[in-house]
Amino acid sequence: MTIRYVAALAGLVAAAAWNLSGQGLPISSDRLLKAADEPGNWLMYSHTYNSWRFSNLNEITTANVKNLRVKWLFQGRHIEKFETTPLVVNGIMYLTRPENAIYALDAATGRQMWMYEYRNPPRTFNCCGRVNRGLAISGNTLFMNTLDMHVVAVDARSGHEIWKTEMYDYTEAGGYAAPGAPLVVKDKLIVGMAGGERGVSGFLDAYDTKTGKRLWRFHTIPQPGEPNFGTWAGDSWKTGGVTTWNNGSYDPETNTLFWGTSNPWPDYNDDFRAGDNLYSCSVLALDPDTGKLKWFFQFTPHDLHDWDSTQIPILLETQFRGENRKALAWANRNGFYYLLDRTTGKFLTAKAFVKQTWAKGFDNNGRPELIPGNEPTPEGNDRVWPGVDGGTNWMSHSYSPLTRLLYIFAREEHRMFSKNEVPHPTTEPEANAIAAPTTIAQANAGAYDPAIGGAISRAVGMPEESWGKVIAVDPGTGNIKWEHRVLTPPWGGVMATAGNLVFGGTLEGMIFALNATTGERLWTFSSNGPVFASPISYTANGKQLISIPAGDLIVTFGLD
Amino acid sequence: MRVAALSLAILVTITAAQAQQNPALTGEPLIGAVPEVNPLETEADIKQGAALFQTHCSYCHGGRGEGGRGADLTAGEYRMGGSDRELFKTIRIGVPGSEMPAVRVSDDEIWRLVGYVKRLGSQGLLEKAPGDAVVGEALYAKNGCSGCHKIRQSGTDLGPALDDIGRRRGLVFLEQSLVKPEAYVANAFRAIQVLLKSGETVAGVRLNEDDLSVQLRDLGGNLRSFSKDNIREIRRDKPSLMPPYEGLNKEELANLVAYLNSLRGTR
Repeated sequence: MTIRYVAALAGLVAAAAWNLSGQGLPISSDRLLKAADEPGNWLMYSHTYNSWRFSNLNEITTANVKNLRVKWLFQGRHIEKFETTPLVVNGIMYLTRPENAIYALDAATGRQMWMYEYRNPPRTFNCCGRVNRGLAISGNTLFMNTLDMHVVAVDARSGHEIWKTEMYDYTEAGGYAAPGAPLVVKDKLIVGMAGGERGVSGFLDAYDTKTGKRLWRFHTIPQPGEPNFGTWAGDSWKTGGVTTWNNGSYDPETNTLFWGTSNPWPDYNDDFRAGDNLYSCSVLALDPDTGKLKWFFQFTPHDLHDWDSTQIPILLETQFRGENRKALAWANRNGFYYLLDRTTGKFLTAKAFVKQTWAKGFDNNGRPELIPGNEPTPEGNDRVWPGVDGGTNWMSHSYSPLTRLLYIFAREEHRMFSKNEVPHPTTEPEANAIAAPTTIAQANAGAYDPAIGGAISRAVGMPEESWGKVIAVDPGTGNIKWEHRVLTPPWGGVMATAGNLVFGGTLEGMIFALNATTGERLWTFSSNGPVFASPISYTANGKQLISIPAGDLIVTFGLD
Repeated sequence: MRVAALSLAILVTITAAQAQQNPALTGEPLIGAVPEVNPLETEADIKQGAALFQTHCSYCHGGRGEGGRGADLTAGEYRMGGSDRELFKTIRIGVPGSEMPAVRVSDDEIWRLVGYVKRLGSQGLLEKAPGDAVVGEALYAKNGCSGCHKIRQSGTDLGPALDDIGRRRGLVFLEQSLVKPEAYVANAFRAIQVLLKSGETVAGVRLNEDDLSVQLRDLGGNLRSFSKDNIREIRRDKPSLMPPYEGLNKEELANLVAYLNSLRGTR
């Protein structure tokens, strides 16, 4: 009986042969290249390699969006909020929940299929919450970065761990972390890291998706002997920050990976880091096969305001002064919208999209001409626009090929920037341990508060002096076609759809749909949980759904 | 008194089972700052911990911590970490995604349990497998166990992965699982057959269920979800996909158990 049973079962298993074609797996490189052809799925952080975060689904339209209703909620049941972008493959949603758990859900009902939890040590060092922003997928494998600087590969069918690689010792300097979503390019997993407020030394890594072996590392601060070494005074390059904590984009036509970099450290005190501090606050154009730098463009040379350039790079074709250009569009945290030629990195134009006080204009190479009086001061400078959180931050923009408009959820606010003493990490050895603790015990003892990075930046002014706005920008000129204002500066991104809609959510938890052509608000839902992520759209059982995290919930909407 | 204790133990078991029924309840609840070192570790505390252990833990971990359905705690090896704080957290919130539930007692009682669990772990393995693990490994291969189980990425995910099964299950439990697998089937691996109104039948391992839908991993490894509107019947009469290995003789059984017992994972 036993033998018969086993034989029968073995036959069943063999017949099925773990063939997951019915489930949409495996995900090949080719499918990732053509992700736009699978509008029912969401295969990578920004949906497609050009990072448009545009859904080609059009069941939900300007005419029927008023009938949207909640289909299901997923409860994170965690003290930390969601900042994740889920992936969806043929009706199965894969998402990360803080700190580093992965869930597989039935995308039609939100019911859990499996969960995997990676346990971090009690203390980790991400600047801004014990959060994670999402997954990448290749073959049958999901990939996640962890707060203690590991990359894990997990079987999408079972939730079982396949491999785990340590990127770097997370306790080095003031502490490293990896909260972002990775990106798969061909057979490589591209992974960034954080710690720009903690005197780290930044890099971008590539790992073999099959084995987890590291294939290359690009140091975001030029090392001795490399080009552009010497843009940091003295030894400041050793602790200069310049991290890579968000996601990037990929142009298969030129085989170029685009990735943004963070601020130089210490954030607001530049006493010992004179120079341009390359490659901080820049976009890097890299060969994904080798990790070699093709070109770079620095948006904010010698930054003093923590204006990370870790926004999602948007690759598009647009008319610029009558010519069609392969462009890179970038609404930067420093308050300016930039258009670059993405094949060469040449600066084309820049235009402010929020109030700004720091730049008069730009030279032909895109170097800003500074307005004096914007520097952080010991007593505090409250005249600087935008604030430390920027005109934009990490949340996603969206580009619609139908309206040819770029949608940006922008922040209008100013902040107090003050400058505190930071002991020089190498020439003041007695203060060295304070500037960059060598042990966790030192950090725990509070001898060093690295999050400050040399200053305090705090909100100033009455609530009505800061606000948020969804703007529709003509990418060729930076001109704003329409603006939709919301109460407070946002932390959520936007998504445009082929239904001529733009979805997003506010800090107060209002989830909205706007008319993509006019900016008119057509539909809202009060989730009452702060939106710290960007929406996605996909299909389950053939019906278009919209999901967006709000607080510790994932909220999913659809039509009846 | 014994009746009351038994009732409580049954209640705890039922509660734990209910938590398992609903995997959505296994998320991490709010937890405050936890001291690094056990503040309640006097002999009196440990004695109280022993009593609490009998009530809340012995059903799975055995009366002497020797393991069973739950891990053998006498080896002093802990999957989720063995520091005071890590043990506290494991008892407080359980191990999400596993059969270990959160233990709903006060913080002080958890610290007393931590003290007792560490005392158990200091005594060295109580039970050693008598069989030959090397011979057992050959039996594992010969019997085609990897058709449903996975060890170090080899095999399939139809049944539970066995990488650290020796750490998670006691010897008696392992033997019983081979001879009479249907005697205990973890909730995460209960077999069902879904008979659809369309006439199709889908067999697999139930992953989740509510009044509206059921989710399973089918025999091909696909994650599937079915609305109950489309289901005619769900059959649950054969909860284990694993056949009973009654044909193994006593020595073979001991060797196979020894092999399984030697699988202790990488952590």
